[in-house]
Amino acid sequence: MYNLGTVFRFEVKRTLKKKSFWIMAAAFPVIIGLVFTIVFFSNQATDKAAANTKNQKFSFEITDESGVVDKKIVQQFGASETNDRQTAIHDVISGKLDAYFYYPKDLAHDKVQIYAKDAGLFDNGRYQAVAQVILQQSVAPNVDPQTTAVLQNTVGFDSTTYKDGVEFNGFKQLIAPGVFLILFYILIAMFGNQMLTSTTEEKENRVIEMILTAIKARTLIIGKILSLLVLALIQVVVILTPIVIAYIFLHNTLSLPNISLNDIPFDPVRIIIAALMFIFSFLLFTGLLVAIGAAVPTAKEASGFFGVVMICLFGPLYAVTLFISAPESDLVRFLSFFPLTAPIPLMLRNAVGNISIGDATLGIIILIVSAVIALMVAVRMFQFGALEYSRRIGLGAIFQKRSNK
Amino acid sequence: MVSVVSVDHFRMDFSGKTVIKDLSFDVHKGEVFGFLGSNGSGKTTTIRALLGIYTPTSGDLLVGGKPFSVSSGLKLGYLPEERGLYKKEKVLDIMIYFGQLKGLTRDEAKTRSEAFLARVKLSDKVNTRLDKLSGGQQQKVQLGITVINDPELLILDEPTKGFDPVNRRLLMDIIEEHQRAGATIIFVTHQMEEVERLCNRIVLLKDGTAHAYGTIAEVKKKFGGKSLDDIFLEVYGDENEQAEEASHV
Repeated sequence: MYNLGTVFRFEVKRTLKKKSFWIMAAAFPVIIGLVFTIVFFSNQATDKAAANTKNQKFSFEITDESGVVDKKIVQQFGASETNDRQTAIHDVISGKLDAYFYYPKDLAHDKVQIYAKDAGLFDNGRYQAVAQVILQQSVAPNVDPQTTAVLQNTVGFDSTTYKDGVEFNGFKQLIAPGVFLILFYILIAMFGNQMLTSTTEEKENRVIEMILTAIKARTLIIGKILSLLVLALIQVVVILTPIVIAYIFLHNTLSLPNISLNDIPFDPVRIIIAALMFIFSFLLFTGLLVAIGAAVPTAKEASGFFGVVMICLFGPLYAVTLFISAPESDLVRFLSFFPLTAPIPLMLRNAVGNISIGDATLGIIILIVSAVIALMVAVRMFQFGALEYSRRIGLGAIFQKRSNK
Repeated sequence: MVSVVSVDHFRMDFSGKTVIKDLSFDVHKGEVFGFLGSNGSGKTTTIRALLGIYTPTSGDLLVGGKPFSVSSGLKLGYLPEERGLYKKEKVLDIMIYFGQLKGLTRDEAKTRSEAFLARVKLSDKVNTRLDKLSGGQQQKVQLGITVINDPELLILDEPTKGFDPVNRRLLMDIIEEHQRAGATIIFVTHQMEEVERLCNRIVLLKDGTAHAYGTIAEVKKKFGGKSLDDIFLEVYGDENEQAEEASHV
């Protein structure tokens, strides 16, 4: 591994000097910040508009066949009762009346009919709001507050669960090992393309012969992969730092939940398993992407394969509920142990705690073996595919060349 | 005579097609060895096989008595036919990187790079990105990288390709300096005047074998005292005619 440090430093330094690296890193928190800002102001505006709507006055009549509606409340709203449903509807149509509510005899099965003048998509909600308030205020005196809370589904619940005689919070247990899953997702999503094109640069720039007579292909590839790992971690830090700072200072303003590190449980076994799964998943996909990059003549052509790899990798996310509800099903086991799909199911199942130590070990072994094979293929691809400046090289050609040796 | 490079019954097939049939030659320590042949005759293939980039179908290709390895400790300078560098990087950064890969410390690589750039009048370009240089300037940088480690074995595959006469002269001077310093040089070229000026011995590659091999005087004698230009035309003229006929068909 002579010169590994030189390759590593060169790759890290030159990437850190690229504007695109910092733009990509900065763009993520900026976009998150923008989305939060939009949601925040949108919610504020909506609440304000809803409050205004409630206070808006409009003329209306009602017909109550249910017998539930309190006449006094109707009068408080400045409305009147009518028995002539058709005339009331006609008055709404002609514009004499803003709205007419018809309360049917059986409120449990039939719907309240609302006829009203259009006030715009948002403001039309005021008619139903008033019709509902009339009903609620009419029945409220007859029901005690606790019953009201039960019926309105506003009762709060605080659960404490136990496992092996110890308090156990499944959601909080998920956080620490789940960090590795999120980290893996971010790294592959943001750095996958760079992994793919990391060796096409040597090929496109015709540097390959100079390089291969100065260092071993294996040293170059490993140096590049290590640099990618470090760069990816730097980028994650750059991305997370403003998010953490924003959380610390703005979580009350944005009504975000309070998170204390003291409340997060750390299960060392699950965290070690998650770390191993993360490392070898990363190496597997880096090796795979580097191998593809070395096998094709240009970065443009390499990107065509990127989608296929991403579908294999992130496709299992569509079965996420299955991983939680039926972890022993054949599909989940297949996706967990098939190398190209394994990372997400393994890390997810470890995070939610439904994978046995035996299955986790088997999964890690599969990832290690696959990663080693992927890296070996990547080195061979680079060594023999690198001089194929204009055509794609296949696995058959690589092994054929190997057998010549 | 000590052989620095030894090629013995080298054969190279690509997808069932034989490019080199049976090639043998030696390159002696301290000499400039001309490796001649028409386009597509297998010169670059031989060099790549010699340096372990290609795996030979059969035969032995030895550098310093053993197959070439980057960890052998031999100080190699190789200027390939297919040229290029990291285009987005600054000139000095690339030279230092390659200097370090070739075993120099960072300070040594920097000092030697700056000295070379001063010599080829590119001192003002040390912090310029490579893709901002002209083609000729890029060639100079690549030559600088090739010789930055004072190589014991210098392999130059058509080094003057793309050089104007002034820079060609500069290149020849640099090659001669390294020869005087004791480097062994393998020189691949089509320029016969360069061969006459620099080379001690030559090999003419044709039909995958050594068509002629020896000192320049020996080769000339074999062809009745003709000039190297005439010999080249005699040996490869029919290939060019065939190529022309094929292109008409």
